[in-house]
Amino acid sequence: MTALVDQQARSAAAAPSLFLRMRRSRWGYVFVSPWVVLYLFFGLYPLILSFYLTFFNYSFVTPEDRTFVGIGNWVDGSTDPLFWKSLFNIVINQSTFILLKNGLGLLIAALLFRITWGARLFRTIYFLPVITSTVVLMTIGDNLASPGGPAQKILIDAGIISGPAFWKSDDTLPMIIIAFINTWKWFGISTIILLAGMYGIDPRLYEAAVVDGAQGRQLFRFITLPMLRPQLFFLLVVDIINGLQMFTEVFSIGFNIYGGINHQALTPVLYLYAQAFDRSNVGYASTLGLLLAFLIAALTVLQFKFVRSEID
Amino acid sequence: MMRPFRSISYSLVLTYMVLTLGAIAVIYPFFFMVNNSFKTGREIIHSPTALPSEVTLIGYTGVFDELDVLLLFKNSMILAVSITLLNTLLSALAGYAFAKIPFPGRDRIFGFMLLTMMIPGVLFLIPSYVFIYNLGWVGHYQALIIPSAVSVFNIFLVRQFMSGIPDELVEAARIDGAGDPTIFLRVILPLARPALATVAILTFMGSWNDFFGPLLYLNQPEHWTLQLGLLQFRGTVPGENSEQIWALTTLITLPIVVVYFFIQEQFVKAFANVSLSK
Repeated sequence: MTALVDQQARSAAAAPSLFLRMRRSRWGYVFVSPWVVLYLFFGLYPLILSFYLTFFNYSFVTPEDRTFVGIGNWVDGSTDPLFWKSLFNIVINQSTFILLKNGLGLLIAALLFRITWGARLFRTIYFLPVITSTVVLMTIGDNLASPGGPAQKILIDAGIISGPAFWKSDDTLPMIIIAFINTWKWFGISTIILLAGMYGIDPRLYEAAVVDGAQGRQLFRFITLPMLRPQLFFLLVVDIINGLQMFTEVFSIGFNIYGGINHQALTPVLYLYAQAFDRSNVGYASTLGLLLAFLIAALTVLQFKFVRSEID
Repeated sequence: MMRPFRSISYSLVLTYMVLTLGAIAVIYPFFFMVNNSFKTGREIIHSPTALPSEVTLIGYTGVFDELDVLLLFKNSMILAVSITLLNTLLSALAGYAFAKIPFPGRDRIFGFMLLTMMIPGVLFLIPSYVFIYNLGWVGHYQALIIPSAVSVFNIFLVRQFMSGIPDELVEAARIDGAGDPTIFLRVILPLARPALATVAILTFMGSWNDFFGPLLYLNQPEHWTLQLGLLQFRGTVPGENSEQIWALTTLITLPIVVVYFFIQEQFVKAFANVSLSK
């Protein structure tokens, strides 16, 4: 207690009192207050609510009938085969997508880096899918990839597939094909972020390497790629956080909220949507949301630990 | 002496070839969409990739007959414009406070704010819905507008940019007797335009293209947005009228593409800024 008084007295002598400083910068509080208030209601409160809900059997329609189920939802969630199936699906989808999207982005960025004439036009075109809505792109993608559609016709003519493929009922193809369509949509972002990174590399590094006898591919392998690590890391972190929460793509390409008859296109968010809004298992859906959030957080921490430490 | 020159031009030709092929592959699906919007449904079924044997507008007239496209457009506009205005204003205010007003507790609040950015959005999905449902907001625009009125990400973006504005400018205005609201309006706001353009573009695009939010909260057809309307419409159109779907997707895509072509430099910068601010 005396220490506190002491400290206050000392700080009052050294600098204007806390109250005075707060008054002088009162506009600071006013300006951040909209966010603070909104976050209390639509961030912090739901956060607490989500933990609370996991311990109940709860439905929107009859909230007063909620029953306490303890850790029942947690046990069910972590052993639910459909939840695991959805995780399996999303891992297949995202590993394909992240590899394709960033690989293609890197290739295109490396090519654009070499040219000046027409670079802007190419960039404009590659960026077009980024700004277009997912529902529109999935509508187009669905038609292009459909049995009898143009993409399959090319594959049949080239002899890669023998006949029309009804890929939507296949076990793994839906996730792969959605990854391809999503690559078309998003590789433009990887391209411009990596291109910006390439322009940021000190040209003297290349000059020094050329003096030492390095050539085209070696320059890319030993200078460009290592120098782009911060950008690649950023893309990886953001891709994983966003990708694991995929919903609209699957739904708007025509799968129901259970991801098809065999759940071949079920994603975790699709599944928790189905649990909450179709089966009215709100407490259970909330638990699935938390499980997924923990998983994403764990993956992000792992990336910062292992990938980031290599950069620094 | 000739060899390096020749090898460079070979690889340059190859570079342009790959880039052009890529551009065609990226553009083709859009061409497919627009092309089919000028055909009849029958023709689309029989020859989906051919040019229209006869250019027809029945897709466009049909979709306007079947669907209140203007209403969907208006609804999308109401949501996107209000969310964009609120985000631009509120993130500018908060960004200024975090960057230039040394109020006690600022760094703690900012640190906490950064921490909240790490929480995956999926966690809020169900509890937010429960809360908004209990407020009685489901089926009303405020269910989408108020919770998205300001995002941590946008504040962070603006704050990073404003930190780069020299403190001397703010101090000079303060010595001249200007208060924070005046400094904000007269000094900071004009200088922060690039950052605010980034926020506005990303927010508008996100909201215009959003599907999940409207699906969750707008249950009455008279509130539906273009994205939601498109998906619902797609399920009801018989195959021989599929030209209407292509007319609708073309109409949805057109406004954002037009805006994009006028301010594409800002669009691209907006996305580049996102990564640089990290």
